[in-house]
Amino acid sequence: MVNKNFLFNKIFASIIICIIQFFPINVYGVDPDEILKNEKQELRARNISENIRCMICQNQSIDESNAPLAKDLRVLIRNQIKEGKNNEEIYKFLTDRYGDFILLKPPLKFNTLALWILPFIFFIIGVFFVFYHNKKSEKF
Amino acid sequence: MKKQLLIIPLIFFLSILLIFFYLLIIDRNPSELPSALLNKKVPKFETMSLLEEEKFISSKVFGNKIQLVNFFATWCKPCRDEHDYIKRFSNEEGIDVIGVNYKDNEQKVLAWLKELGNPYSNIAIDKNGRIAIDWGVYGIPETFIINSKGIIKYRHVGPITQKIYKKINLIINEIE
Repeated sequence: MVNKNFLFNKIFASIIICIIQFFPINVYGVDPDEILKNEKQELRARNISENIRCMICQNQSIDESNAPLAKDLRVLIRNQIKEGKNNEEIYKFLTDRYGDFILLKPPLKFNTLALWILPFIFFIIGVFFVFYHNKKSEKF
Repeated sequence: MKKQLLIIPLIFFLSILLIFFYLLIIDRNPSELPSALLNKKVPKFETMSLLEEEKFISSKVFGNKIQLVNFFATWCKPCRDEHDYIKRFSNEEGIDVIGVNYKDNEQKVLAWLKELGNPYSNIAIDKNGRIAIDWGVYGIPETFIINSKGIIKYRHVGPITQKIYKKINLIINEIE
């Protein structure tokens, strides 16, 4: 009886662990003392932070990163929100200092045009080849 | 005609390979980013000076001659590694080197400079890292070349090595 229970627990635990894998675990770098009292302002700060690259880790947003510079920038963004600056002004403040690279989503500009348009061109080429190939096989 | 078309993906694939190979062999550090401040004026700031009684006022310090600005801290190991080169810039090349001390302790800096030697003509104290943000600094040590009009001409991220030392000297000679 004891053994059966043990086995059941083991299986149950394994299933739970397996299920957990399907849920993304959101880890945030935001410390409790950074959070603004005004919920609306805090939400704005979070939205901006999610779009700002952590220059040290490079593939993380400053919202997720615990790097000291990411924390400094999060606090800076919150201070600017409290000062009444709008989102554009805050983004401009950051790109003026760190360049467009600090934005996780590259802006649509002349020198990023290839980045935005090439995937569609490749898609069209791909579609063309698939249809071309299918046409050929129909003959047989 | 149809058979000839099939060669397109192959050419395409080979050209991609060629691009990758080119990026692999050229001398390039992908983690090093160009500064957004290149060819712009030095950011304005005022702070305490570590070496002098007077305040450090950027508009008074920059814009008279070619200068190097070096962001450093005593807790940063690569800063210690590059310190010999910073000294060579000021002693051998006679370049005015301004230090910005990043998130550090004044007593520790003074002891550090006593131990390793002081190449800096003036040191701005950046206690909370706010000045560094205005300069777009993301990983110290970082070194900037400023021309005689107070305009940023070059930025190097990371410690100065023999190669970078030569490169910076070359750039300084060019802008002179």
